[in-house]
Amino acid sequence: MAKKRRLSWAVMVDGRAIWTLNAVPKRSQYGESLRRFKGLEYRRWDPTRSKLGAALSRARQTQYELMPQEGDTCLYLGAGHGTSLSHIHDQVCGADNVKNGRIIAVDLSPRCLRDLVHLSTLRPGLVPVLGDARKHSAWGVMVARKVDWLLQDVSQAGQAEIFINAVRRFLKPGGKGLLSLKAASERFSDGGEREVFRNVRVQLEDAGLTIEEQIDLHGLEDNHCLYFITN
Amino acid sequence: MWLWYDWRSAAVADSNGNIVDVEEWDGWKDTNAVCARMDMIAHQAITPEAERLSERFPDAKVLIHGHEDLPDADWPIPSDEALNALDRAAIILSKRGVDAAAGDPDRRLEHILKASDELRASFITIEGRLVEWVGLFLPEARFERDRSGLARKVIDSSSLVELADIIEIGMPPVGPTEAEWNSLHDWAKSVIEIKSRLESMEDVVRELATEHLPSLAGLLGPILAARLCVEAHGRARLARLPAGTMQILGAEKAFFNHLKTGAPSPKHGHIFMHPWISRSPRWMRGKIARTVAAKATIAVRCDEFGGEKWSQEAFDAVADRVETIRSENSSPPKM
Repeated sequence: MAKKRRLSWAVMVDGRAIWTLNAVPKRSQYGESLRRFKGLEYRRWDPTRSKLGAALSRARQTQYELMPQEGDTCLYLGAGHGTSLSHIHDQVCGADNVKNGRIIAVDLSPRCLRDLVHLSTLRPGLVPVLGDARKHSAWGVMVARKVDWLLQDVSQAGQAEIFINAVRRFLKPGGKGLLSLKAASERFSDGGEREVFRNVRVQLEDAGLTIEEQIDLHGLEDNHCLYFITN
Repeated sequence: MWLWYDWRSAAVADSNGNIVDVEEWDGWKDTNAVCARMDMIAHQAITPEAERLSERFPDAKVLIHGHEDLPDADWPIPSDEALNALDRAAIILSKRGVDAAAGDPDRRLEHILKASDELRASFITIEGRLVEWVGLFLPEARFERDRSGLARKVIDSSSLVELADIIEIGMPPVGPTEAEWNSLHDWAKSVIEIKSRLESMEDVVRELATEHLPSLAGLLGPILAARLCVEAHGRARLARLPAGTMQILGAEKAFFNHLKTGAPSPKHGHIFMHPWISRSPRWMRGKIARTVAAKATIAVRCDEFGGEKWSQEAFDAVADRVETIRSENSSPPKM
């Protein structure tokens, strides 16, 4: 039996598996397994379904720092169907938002928003926004104060540029930013995805961001790389 | 001087970052009013508070909350209570956005067209099975001319003997058992049922496409118009495609193979379904496809950007042009 480690109040690592304290007991969000540890119910974080989950299981130096703190204000660009989002909510807000956190989840697709709106009724503290990650003017006023934690997972060309603009506008000084980069969405370059990853790294450094760790998600999420930065 | 504003308040600061004047809006307890405000801001309009301040300080530069040119100052950021009201409004706005997507004719067309395609694919296999099945018991029968009438005939007869009578052939030595015949009979019933469902579904596609793409549907026929629209992921995108893309829409595989290996380029994609092209001899198809695609891009642009629906004369002019191409190229090119 592998030894259990706590990454935070709600996140636990048991061998290879990651578990988060379920904010909506008895309810599995996307078919993940549920299990009780010491009378509390946890949900298993599937690293092949969630890029943040993959990054957590792949991170070498920054595993304890990747996740937001409880009660933080978070911004998630490209929230999709809410797989990663539900685990972030477990950590930031908890059941009935006891930790008083706030997660603003932006996505472009009405189909995804349908799921997110439903999720937000189960999980208070979650704010779904239908909008384009690039067009800050339409939904930027939703972010009243700068956020503590920002995750971007969009598949549009120019992901690094979108990320840098979002960090400048929305991330607090000293806040954490995560960019999940999909190499296939960028323009093709001769060096393949390694070249793309290197170029983005240079782009982020030139923008004055400190790269804490570059996590290759190969095997869990192919052609993806997650950059963990602070500003 | 700067004038800062967000959905709830507006403030003016001097060049040292000291707040000079503030206007607040107290209507935020009403969630619907907050929604209206967010709409206003999303359309880049200025709130009444900001407008009032702007009249008082005409030389202040008006910038929305979060704009990068704004200096750091102690702007009146909403209270937690107001933020909660904003969160409630955000959920309502998202719901509205999701509801609005249901009215999107592109999405509706996509579902019904794909559904009817799937139904047609299964209809062909089910009908084919029926013909083979009956053919096994009645080897003398020939259905090539009347495949679709066979199902009706099977339903009308109560046994294989009766069916053989109807098609006027003799009985083979081995027939199906009673239960087997019943299964065959049911199978024929489902062929008829699926066929009628398919027809009514395609009528709906025709109706939706004629409404959504009147000119293009008039030029190419509603089903083909719908198919092109779905292939392009929506009318807005279809209207922005060049004619060359319209011509080979649906032949992506051949096209990228052409780019990659230098194989001959495709001359037509879905547009091939139109009788002007599929009923013409091989050597003139490319020329006709090019002309028709060029006209089709114009037609869809009329539909998308609120132009007039094409008149019958306009359709006839394209038909005349196609006729001219046909007569000019009546003999195959020499090798």
